[in-house]
Amino acid sequence: MADQAGRRRRSSSILQVYHEPPEPIEQLSDQSALPNLNANWVNAKGAWVIHFVLIAAVKILYDILPGVSQETSWTLTNITYMFGSYIMFHYVRGVPFEFNGGAYDNLNMWEQIDDGAQYTPAKKFLLSVPIVLFLLSTHYTHYDLAYFTINFLAVLAVVIPKLPISHRMRVGLFSGVPEED
Amino acid sequence: MELQEVQTLVSEYLDKAATAFQQVPGSAVLIRYVRSSYQNDPVRSAIELVLVIFFIRYLLSPSYSTSKVNYVKLTDDEIDELVEEWQPEPLVPKQTALEEAEMDKLPVLVGPTGPKSKLANGKTVTNLASYNFYNLNANEQIKEKAIQTLRTYGVGPCGPPQFYGTQDVHMKAEADIATYLGTEKCIVYAQAFSAISSVIPAFCKRGDIIVADRAVNYSIRRGLEISRSNIKWYNHNDLEDLERVMRKVVQEQAKKKLTRRFIVTEALFETSGDMNDLPKLIELKEKYKFRIILDETWSFGVLGRTGRGLTEHQNVDPTQIDMIVGSLAGPLCAGGGFCAGSSDVVEHQRISAAAYTFSAALPAMLAMTASESLNVLQSNPEILVQCRENIRLARAQLDPRSDWVMCTSAPENPIMILVFKPEVVNARRLTIEDQERLMQECCDEALANGVLITRLKGSSISTHASLKDGNWTVQPALKVCITSGLSKKDMEKAATTIRHAITKVMTRKTNNKLNLPTA
Repeated sequence: MADQAGRRRRSSSILQVYHEPPEPIEQLSDQSALPNLNANWVNAKGAWVIHFVLIAAVKILYDILPGVSQETSWTLTNITYMFGSYIMFHYVRGVPFEFNGGAYDNLNMWEQIDDGAQYTPAKKFLLSVPIVLFLLSTHYTHYDLAYFTINFLAVLAVVIPKLPISHRMRVGLFSGVPEED
Repeated sequence: MELQEVQTLVSEYLDKAATAFQQVPGSAVLIRYVRSSYQNDPVRSAIELVLVIFFIRYLLSPSYSTSKVNYVKLTDDEIDELVEEWQPEPLVPKQTALEEAEMDKLPVLVGPTGPKSKLANGKTVTNLASYNFYNLNANEQIKEKAIQTLRTYGVGPCGPPQFYGTQDVHMKAEADIATYLGTEKCIVYAQAFSAISSVIPAFCKRGDIIVADRAVNYSIRRGLEISRSNIKWYNHNDLEDLERVMRKVVQEQAKKKLTRRFIVTEALFETSGDMNDLPKLIELKEKYKFRIILDETWSFGVLGRTGRGLTEHQNVDPTQIDMIVGSLAGPLCAGGGFCAGSSDVVEHQRISAAAYTFSAALPAMLAMTASESLNVLQSNPEILVQCRENIRLARAQLDPRSDWVMCTSAPENPIMILVFKPEVVNARRLTIEDQERLMQECCDEALANGVLITRLKGSSISTHASLKDGNWTVQPALKVCITSGLSKKDMEKAATTIRHAITKVMTRKTNNKLNLPTA
């Protein structure tokens, strides 16, 4: 979190933490030219219900697999949801469907939601789901330390990138800070 | 004594609180949950507690925007003051003296354009200022077809191509152009100018790389600007410089995410008339893995044995060029533009090219005219030979024989771009404005002697603030458009008139700056 100003080239080190530089005015105007369909749907009706539906579906799937105990099933459900939501909200950048000339190419979906505003209802909901799921799964794994550790690490992986402090923050492992064009 | 009182009071309150808590619905569940989850593991319970506290805090936090708002807060008085002070800029900037003089003298044609045109002042002049190279404008066969189409289809399609605007004649025109050029498919745009400025952003996006010639025309510049891509420039028609730029791009991009890369250039350049070296361009494209967007606006229907353009002229397989963009509005005497290429390239544009999606389709009559003009070109390639003969004759009169100007156009280009020789410019210390004024005088003088020519208005084309370091100074030039509609004798005579007009203007006392002291 050292440099808020933008990408700065530093001597090579294993871990690089930097912030995505602010967009030029031209890119900002492209962003605001059209509503961001990629991020706006999280505010739509039904977008909240689908989380519960998917979690239930995943749980049922692991339950019907033979030889999977309740503890493992809950842990797998938890991990699957965390993994999926990490990919969707924090890993993939830009907009998968081309409609604004790549104006959001540098931002992941979490940063696009509500134009990057923090603590909005959608973001509060999206943070609640993994935390509640984690509490449920630790409860149903009967507080076994091994399961607890796995589930806790999984929830950390999706909660930390959702924090306001992680907004536009990038972590480079074994790779330098990308140069600006 | 006091301590005991306090203790009883506290225990009383605690009892009351416990009873009250037990009365809350669901409290038993919570107590059971906390008891069962504690399980003699304070560390884990503490972690869970911290998580829950953080969660509650997150839920209670007020929302805020992260985009920095840099507006200055103004009071109402200040706003009123600013509104009072504001002077609107004129929509059209005031004309310069040169522009005003030019507007006054602007010739107006009455009746159809052709090799001999009638002006509004009643004079009939030789028209060398129209792109009517083969005089297809007066072709009876094409006229007849156009009239028939007009009677059948009416005057306009009244809809964008994807919205009931496409008619069978459009599909025929597309098929005809594709067959003529030898590409898989073709898409017809309603306007030639907006074709390439729409094709470029349909394929190039932010983060992509475009390598473009410095001298590309205004329409291409618009397209480059809208595409938001990274533009790299190479020196005009210098393919060694192009290779240097491409090599640099490949090196820089080696470790980055793969992006699309394009070369954008013209077949015959609008501002200088010279020709591109296509075989070398394709060699480079294959070597460094780029795609080519080639603007054939001025070469389609012009170069090659049957007018197929630069690909035919330089014996290149047209399928090796990814996108060929051309115009139907010039020598074909129709209207609109097109982009020819592989099936994927064409179909992609049908939904993502702005000028295709958002503007009304080409009028049916023009689509039919384009098809018919291509038919005429294919069946009578001798009209191209006639035109080239006229180009040769005119060139012989102008280029080697004039002391003042030289022709920068390729020998096959019917648009002869005549610029002042460098030694003339140096000797007389002519600025760009001086040259423009002199060129305008040459046009006026030629018109006075019965030959209508025009000049290249380059300054507005080439400077564009939003394209970094892409500025290119276009040397003011005369534009002489040769047509096969004139006999050899007339053509030679017209060219001689132009040469004499230039000489007369340049030898005028007022235009000779040689007697000025050196700066």
